[in-house]
Amino acid sequence: MSTVANEALAYVDALHNLARHLTGNQADAEDLVQETYARALKAEHQFTPGTNLKAWLFRILRNTFVSLYRRRRRDPTVGGLDTVDAYSQGATDEAWLRDDLELGRLRKVVAEEIEAALMMLSEEARTVILLDLEGLTEVQVSDVLGCPVGTVKSRLSRARAALRLSLRDYAR
Amino acid sequence: MNCDDVRMTLRDYQEGRLPTAALGEIRAHLEACPDCTHVDAVEQELTSALEHRLPQYPASLALKRRIAAQWKVSTPKRSGWSWWRPSLIPAFAFVALVLVGAPIVYYERVAFRDANATSAIVGEAVNDHLRVLSSQRPLEIESGGLHQVKPWFEGRLDFAPSVSFEGDIDFPLKGGAVGYFLDRKAAVLVYAHRLHPISLFVFRASGLHWPTKDGGTLTTQERGFNVVMWRQSSLGYALVSDVDRRALASLAAKLQSMP
Repeated sequence: MSTVANEALAYVDALHNLARHLTGNQADAEDLVQETYARALKAEHQFTPGTNLKAWLFRILRNTFVSLYRRRRRDPTVGGLDTVDAYSQGATDEAWLRDDLELGRLRKVVAEEIEAALMMLSEEARTVILLDLEGLTEVQVSDVLGCPVGTVKSRLSRARAALRLSLRDYAR
Repeated sequence: MNCDDVRMTLRDYQEGRLPTAALGEIRAHLEACPDCTHVDAVEQELTSALEHRLPQYPASLALKRRIAAQWKVSTPKRSGWSWWRPSLIPAFAFVALVLVGAPIVYYERVAFRDANATSAIVGEAVNDHLRVLSSQRPLEIESGGLHQVKPWFEGRLDFAPSVSFEGDIDFPLKGGAVGYFLDRKAAVLVYAHRLHPISLFVFRASGLHWPTKDGGTLTTQERGFNVVMWRQSSLGYALVSDVDRRALASLAAKLQSMP
C-alpha cells in the first residue's frame, strides 16, 4: 500500500463524520465515504505531495456528495439526503447580528438538539461549520469548497449565525 | 473596525488566526463594546457545544476494512522488470514447493475428502434415525409382515426397495415409512431388537460419494450409534441403531444374504 493510501486511511473517521452529518443517515454516509475513497484511489496520481491530503479528501467527498445530492434531487422517488436550506433563508436577514442567544440557554442545549439544529441548515452551511470544527484553516476550507478565502470567512460567519438562530428555537 | 467587522472575524480571533495588529484591534474593540463582548462569549459557547456535544460518527470497523481492502488490492502499478524482479525468487521457490509438495497435498486432500464424505453420509444416517425416533408417527405402515410393507411403498418411491428379510424373533419388522436421505427419498424400514429400534434406510446411491470404493460394507460408530452401510447394485443401505455392534452386524448379514 502506498504512503498516500496509508495516510488517507487515517482520515476515514473524520470523513465519515462529515458524511454522516451531510447525509443524515448511516447507509448514505457509508456509501459516500466508500465512493470518496474509490474516486481518490483513481485520482491518486493527481494528488500533489506536500499539500494537505485531508483537505484533498474532504474536497472529493464534498464534490461526490454534491453530485449525488443533485442527482437525487432530480429523482423525486429517492429521498434521504437533507434538502432544507434554512441557512439561505436566515442568512440574508441581518437581524441575527443584533439578536443574542442567551448563554444560559445555549449551555443547556443537548446533543440531539444541536444535531437537529445543524441538520436544519443547508449542506453548504453544515459543511463549512464542520470543516472549521475539524481544524481546517480558511485556506484549506476554501480549497475544499472551491471558493476564495474571503467567501469562506463570510460563509462561516453566516452559517454559525444561522445555527445560533436555529438553536434558539431548540433551547427555549 | 466596526461591530460587523469584528463579529465577522471573531472566529479567527478565538482561534488565534489573526496577525498581532488585528488581534490588538479586536481586543480593544471588545473591551469598549459590551454587545460584541456578549457575542464573543456566545460564539465561544457555541464552539464548545459543537466540540463537546455534537454527536461524532466514526466509521464502522466494517467500512474501514472494506476501504482498506479496496486500497490494498489496487496497489500502485509498477512496470516491467521492476515488478518481476522481486517476484522471481519467491516464484521459483513456490514452483519448487509445488513440484515437491503437490503429490503429498493431493493424496492428503483425497484422504481428507474421503473422510469428509464418510463423515457426512454416516452423520446423515444417524440424523435420519434420530428423526425416526423422535417422530410422533415413525411408522406410516404398521407391519403385518414384509409382504404387507413392501407393496405399501409402491407409488411412493421412484425405486423398488430391494429387501427380502421379513424379520425373525431376534429382529422383528415393526413397519415402514417414507423418509429422506440427504437429497433423495428413502424407504425406511424399522426393525427391533429387544426394546431397541433399528432403522434401515434404502435409497438410490447414484451420485453419492460412497465411503467404500467397491460399495463394500462399512461398519462404524457415530455419536454412540452403530452404523452399517453397504451398496447393492444401484441402491444404498444404511442400518442405524444403539444396539451393540455385533447384533447390528448380525442383522446386516441377514439383510445382505437375502437378495
